[in-house]
Amino acid sequence: MAKQYDVLFRLLLIGDSGVGKTCLLCRFTDNEFHPSHISTIGVDFKMKTIDVDGIKVRIQIWDTAGQERYQTITKQYYRRAQGIFLVYDITSERSYQHIMKWASDVDEYAPDGVQKILIGNKADEEHKRQVGKHQGMKLAEEYGMDFYETSACTNYNIKESFTRLTELVLMAHRKELDGLRLASNDELNLAELEEDGRKADGTANSKSCWC
Amino acid sequence: MARSPGEGSVSPSASLRGTRETLSDPELESLGSDSEINGFTAERKTDKYGFLIKTEENGGREEELSVDVLRQREAKWLDMLFNWDKWMAKRHKKIKLRCQKGIPPSLRGRAWQYLSGSRVKMDQNPNKFTELDSMAGDPKWVDIIERDLHRQFPFHEMFVARGGHGQQDLFRVLKAYTLYRPDEGYCQAQAPIAAVLLMHMPAEQAFWCLVQICEKYLPGYYSEKLEAIQLDGRILFSLLRKVSAVAYKHLSKQKIDPILYMTEWFMCAFSRTLPWSSVLRVWDMFFCEGNFVCH
Ligand SMILES: Nc1nc2c(ncn2[C@@H]2O[C@H](COP(=O)(O)OP(=O)(O)OP(=O)(O)O)[C@@H](O)[C@H]2O)c(=O)[nH]1
Ligand SMILES: [Mg+2]
Repeated sequence: MAKQYDVLFRLLLIGDSGVGKTCLLCRFTDNEFHPSHISTIGVDFKMKTIDVDGIKVRIQIWDTAGQERYQTITKQYYRRAQGIFLVYDITSERSYQHIMKWASDVDEYAPDGVQKILIGNKADEEHKRQVGKHQGMKLAEEYGMDFYETSACTNYNIKESFTRLTELVLMAHRKELDGLRLASNDELNLAELEEDGRKADGTANSKSCWC
Repeated sequence: MARSPGEGSVSPSASLRGTRETLSDPELESLGSDSEINGFTAERKTDKYGFLIKTEENGGREEELSVDVLRQREAKWLDMLFNWDKWMAKRHKKIKLRCQKGIPPSLRGRAWQYLSGSRVKMDQNPNKFTELDSMAGDPKWVDIIERDLHRQFPFHEMFVARGGHGQQDLFRVLKAYTLYRPDEGYCQAQAPIAAVLLMHMPAEQAFWCLVQICEKYLPGYYSEKLEAIQLDGRILFSLLRKVSAVAYKHLSKQKIDPILYMTEWFMCAFSRTLPWSSVLRVWDMFFCEGNFVCH
């Protein structure tokens, strides 16, 4: 049986409620945008397999609830992530200010080598913009992260940003990957999670889970 | 009284508080195949619960009760509701049995109010809701509630229109609760709960029902640290171990914590999880018997 993927790992989406985390994820995995997606309660995830430099990468993307009181629950998932999106909304100064808090939580709860990128979402809403692009860039630079402005609505920079974070995680795990190339029969499971029920992926390679 | 879900849903009134987008927002119009959902198509079809029907799907087949049976049940329930105290005191078992059979749709909203005790509470506090309703909310809560209004049952005709009556009532109920219990404030999982209530009763009644759910049925579920839900997660998991060791082992091995799947089930009282007819039946029993894990 052909391998379904070479590497499996986990990415995590965090940021204030309403910045568009769930919309970003749906755009990436299903190429859909519903302006009235239901709010996230707790944690949810979706999967997608992408090809990066000839490596088949299966990513499990965890979507978290943004409201502060869910953080006792969502923080428990930080330590299992290899890559994290910190998301704010360019039409909300507050969500941008809060990135500081999200970043310090990441420092506290996520594993040391975790890869991060900063996302300023809703870039299509230029007329409501409260956070300049340079502000995003500056903050990202301070934290040593890459930065993208995105729009789940117009599908701007979605694939780019997800691919970029995936590449960063791959690079950070170069060593393990080189080992993989030698013994190319096994898949590398960074998420330490056995995949169960290997359903044929068919055309759409994203299967949503408990949504 | 259960009110027909038809009323007060189509109002394409402009923004609620000036912050929300209006329906004529070009962004919404570019939705392609989904643009019907914004409440503009004339012959919008809904199922009997008020959910918009997508043309492909034919709706799950449900057993339909004969009109005679339904009328009989309604008569029985009407009698109970008129003599509620007597029934509660003497024939509690019978009430439970009738809840198990399912409350007649036309009386469901009223029955929930009696079962939960919210009716009594409302009568004891006749002006409370009006008072809370007229007060301004804490901006901290108002902001987050407003972000949630269009994200509850977006395919139900009552909540489809941005700034429509459904969403306005939802705002009123949730804001009133943050004023009623400023120590608890607003938890996002309260929105779907309040929305289900609003499908069955007016805002004031829905408010008191929400109060009963938060204080009596699910105490601590929505409060600051969410301890109660995490505790129930552990209880659920240990129950699972007893009921199905295989499932328990499998989930443990896959490191799937209960909190991952049960948070939304329990906090939203299954309203986002089960087929709608089942949701209503679960709620009937929930109001009759209480919390989920105990059963
Ligand atoms: N204009 C525009 N609106 C967006 C975009 N992404 C999301 N939105 C809107 O923002 C709202 C909130 O998006 P969600 O994806 O539900 O937000 P979230 O971050 O998942 O919020 P929580 O689940 O509460 O943490 C949506 O209902 C959309 O209407 C975008 O790229 N552009
Ligand atoms: Mg979300």
